[in-house]
Amino acid sequence: MNPLEIDWNRLNAIIAKHRGEKWGLIPLLQDIQETIGFIPPESMEPIAHALNLHPSQVQGVVTFYAGFSLKPKGKWVLRACRGTACHVKGSRGILRLMKKELGLEEGETSPDYQFTLETVACLGACFLAPTMMVNRDYFGKLNPTKVTSILAQYGKEKGDE
Amino acid sequence: MENIVLSIDGQKVSCPPGTSVLEAAEQHGIKIPKLCYHPDLKPYGACRLCLVEDEKTGRLMASCVTPAASNMVIRTATPRIINHRRNIARLMIAEHPESCVVCSKGNHCQLRLIASQLGIGETKLHPMPNYKTLEQANPFIIRDLSKCILCGKCIRADHELVFVGAIDYNRRGFRSRPATVHDQALEKSNCTVCGTCLSMCPTGALSPKNRTYVGSPARESIAICGFCGVGCSLAMGAAGEKIVEVKPAQRPDSVNRATLCVRGHFAHDFLNVSNRLVSPLVRPNGNRRPAQLVPASWDEALEVIAKRLADIKSVNGPQSIAFLGSSKCTNEENYLLQKFARALIGTNSVDNGGYIFGQSRLRSFDERTAGGGRVNPLRGLERAEAIVVLGADPGHSLPVVGYYLKRAAGQGIPLVLVNPRRTELVNSAALWLRLQPQTDLELLNGLTALLHTKEGYDSGFIDRYTEGFSIFRYSLSALDLERVCRVTDIDRRQLDAAADLLHGKKIAFVVGQGILQQKGGQHSLNALLNLALMTGSLGKEGTGLYMLAKENNQAGALDMGAAPDRFPGRQSLKDDRVRKQWEQAWKVKLSPDQGLNLARMIMEAEKGNLKALYVMGENPLRALPATERVQKALQKLDFLVVQDILECETTRMADVVLPGAAFCEKDGSFTNLEGRIQSFSTVVPPPGHAKPDWEILDRLMAKMKNGCGYGSLEKIRAEIRQRVPMYAELDGRRQGWLRATSSKVIFGADGADGLISFSPMVSVDEPVKDEDYPFTAIFGSMRYHLGSGTRTGASRRIQELELSSEIEISPQDAAGLNFKEGEAVNVISRHGAVGAKVRLKTGILPGQIFAPLAVRGNTAMNLIGLSDLAPADSPGWKTCQVTLKPA
Repeated sequence: MNPLEIDWNRLNAIIAKHRGEKWGLIPLLQDIQETIGFIPPESMEPIAHALNLHPSQVQGVVTFYAGFSLKPKGKWVLRACRGTACHVKGSRGILRLMKKELGLEEGETSPDYQFTLETVACLGACFLAPTMMVNRDYFGKLNPTKVTSILAQYGKEKGDE
Repeated sequence: MENIVLSIDGQKVSCPPGTSVLEAAEQHGIKIPKLCYHPDLKPYGACRLCLVEDEKTGRLMASCVTPAASNMVIRTATPRIINHRRNIARLMIAEHPESCVVCSKGNHCQLRLIASQLGIGETKLHPMPNYKTLEQANPFIIRDLSKCILCGKCIRADHELVFVGAIDYNRRGFRSRPATVHDQALEKSNCTVCGTCLSMCPTGALSPKNRTYVGSPARESIAICGFCGVGCSLAMGAAGEKIVEVKPAQRPDSVNRATLCVRGHFAHDFLNVSNRLVSPLVRPNGNRRPAQLVPASWDEALEVIAKRLADIKSVNGPQSIAFLGSSKCTNEENYLLQKFARALIGTNSVDNGGYIFGQSRLRSFDERTAGGGRVNPLRGLERAEAIVVLGADPGHSLPVVGYYLKRAAGQGIPLVLVNPRRTELVNSAALWLRLQPQTDLELLNGLTALLHTKEGYDSGFIDRYTEGFSIFRYSLSALDLERVCRVTDIDRRQLDAAADLLHGKKIAFVVGQGILQQKGGQHSLNALLNLALMTGSLGKEGTGLYMLAKENNQAGALDMGAAPDRFPGRQSLKDDRVRKQWEQAWKVKLSPDQGLNLARMIMEAEKGNLKALYVMGENPLRALPATERVQKALQKLDFLVVQDILECETTRMADVVLPGAAFCEKDGSFTNLEGRIQSFSTVVPPPGHAKPDWEILDRLMAKMKNGCGYGSLEKIRAEIRQRVPMYAELDGRRQGWLRATSSKVIFGADGADGLISFSPMVSVDEPVKDEDYPFTAIFGSMRYHLGSGTRTGASRRIQELELSSEIEISPQDAAGLNFKEGEAVNVISRHGAVGAKVRLKTGILPGQIFAPLAVRGNTAMNLIGLSDLAPADSPGWKTCQVTLKPA
């Protein structure tokens, strides 16, 4: 798996935007997470410097929140819900299918940085169980066919690029 | 504000507003168990063991984070609270490895203590041990995070007390642990290994790495650290007759409280090394080199010294004998040594190791202030209005001062840093004036002139306590600020910004070796005092000049007269009244003529004029520049006596070697840089036949005058108290302070009987470019070593770091010279050459290099020529011009 090239120009621009901001750490990290897709570990020192914090403090916040990742994620982050309602409605099988289709284990990212497979404790949409998310889109009342077609939908887009 | 009255366990308790319930209870002798609370840290409420119950509401509250409120009715030990506490402790233990029996925290473990107090044996919970990797690669700290209870003390100590920020919580929930950035090992992070976290840790998660001893020490005693001039209080743990562990004493009135530095915490293992001197050594066959040094009895050795010194005195006269006192030995010992020189031999040639750090430059400062202005408690820095740090890198040289400065800056006190190099203080500084080396004087002149123009002076103070301002202000208005900016290479806007930051404020000046050792250091000091006088920055807490003494008793050795130009009490030899007093006290005739200082001793030995040298607790062969020259000079001596604790370069050349005692092996007192006189007593006996240095001197002096000696330390102290009014508080109490002996520096309401005068303004020459030696090498210290590194270099832990001689160079210069990181190069100056490895550092300006001292035999010193530091035109020992060649 090749390491992902980091766009330092974009990264530095984001850091510059928040420089010296009071309580600016989380908005800054969100900005980077959104734009770059993850928080490059090497960026923790410049971030800390810009906000007059210790790098260890930045790392503390990054590792505390599930919303921030120090590892690059795929273009599409697929989150299978493993909450109680979804479990009763067969989410275990859904997850197994996703793993098989993508060839990924939980928490893994495909070598071409297209897909990341994650599980969540609950998506808060139990009435649609079993559910999953792809980036910010919800998919509910899943069955194997639907899952395959969702995956194909994103896979197709991948082929277009 | 009125005190709050509440009831705790039925007891009426009164405390000031803002006090927590826990503190209120403790102040009244009610004990509440706690793990995450520490008086020096902000309350945190992590461990929840300090739960108390409000009787009125029935609420359970963590008492460390609950402010006391009036009419509260608090219970601290109801069955309900105890039950909760037990459950909390049980949960902690369920996650804790069952390794108490082999844990080196042993009896110091607070978790174990609390568990036993709460009567918890087995938790009867499903154990969920939290296995983490054990980290013990560095020579100082073992981290076993499976024993961490997440109290956050280490992290808070790191952030609140020492301001390094090496660690913080990482991840969350069950997986949460303190971690460095990128989860690196401590030694790879920016951790300074001060060990403050270690002494805070309530469990075995952090423990000192100790190769020679396992378990908790048998007994602990308080001592004063023998390394730098801060004078930290230590709790020294001993087993048998050896020191096995050192911790901060955590006394509220100590200078360091809960903090220490890597040297103080970990380098004391040098006390137990095999090259400690344990017996007097003499050279048989009439005591001539090259006969080997062989062990001898004390009587034999002292007999030889007494006879030889008497012979040399009668043949060559008293001026052919010199004495080198020690900035590491006690006040009492330095007093005895200079008395030995002056009263018994009749020479003023006595100095101490403080000379190396530019101590002789303090003279005109002392004369102007009549020896006053010396009491400057470091805690004042945290209450200062503004701080200016010049020529100092306290993060390395005196780390505890660095903590004070960072804490002060953290509170928002404006800190102006004057340094050519990027140091750790830069991040804390409100303004960093990155001047050219050796141009501090010009900068100070410029700053003073600017503040004068902006009317940032205290006319009340000037009128009342000073003289000569009218002439001085004339020279200020004539100063060419453009020239100042050109010489210092500081932008005019920056200079203005500095003046604005300091305008109308009382300033604390922190003055390091960079000023004292540099060319024209005494002029810079005079300019500093002028600035302090003009802004009225003297005589109040958080103002004045904080002179950073590099070694533990540098200030005291000078106070005790271990200097060629002063009597004890920093009194001038030339003062007839003073000299009469000493003549009466010692019943001898004393000369008003200045003796030889350390550099001149070597020069006179070279010429053959100096015949004998008595060295106590110094290693001039390693500490002075021009090793070869010093070695030849010492070889020319007829007689060299060295009294020391470690076998070193200088003892190997001696004709007689006397084994002395380290600071924790004797009674005595040190005076720290604040002017605090700290007395201490023996923790462990000296090894073998070694003796406390004052006892050696006392016996030798008694032998030489065929009389009896003092016999006890108290008798020496009594004489000092009587003759040196400054040391009236040297009476064996743990702490005393220097007394001001002149009303000049007391700054009372009714004025003073002597006024402090402004000194005339002096300028530095514009530097000329040196084509042959284009780089300016700046010499400085690194935190793992002190002084020339004789003691720290003997520490096994420091040795394990395998520090090599390195020079720091800017990446631009490295690219220009085609040097790569880690490449071996030769650094060549007019006086010598040394080999070193290159380290690329962005904190260095092109055209400059930084050479750390003390590593590997202190070879970097050889780049500096041996010159006398005392005259104003001395080139100084802080920088020199060099060129770099590939090795």
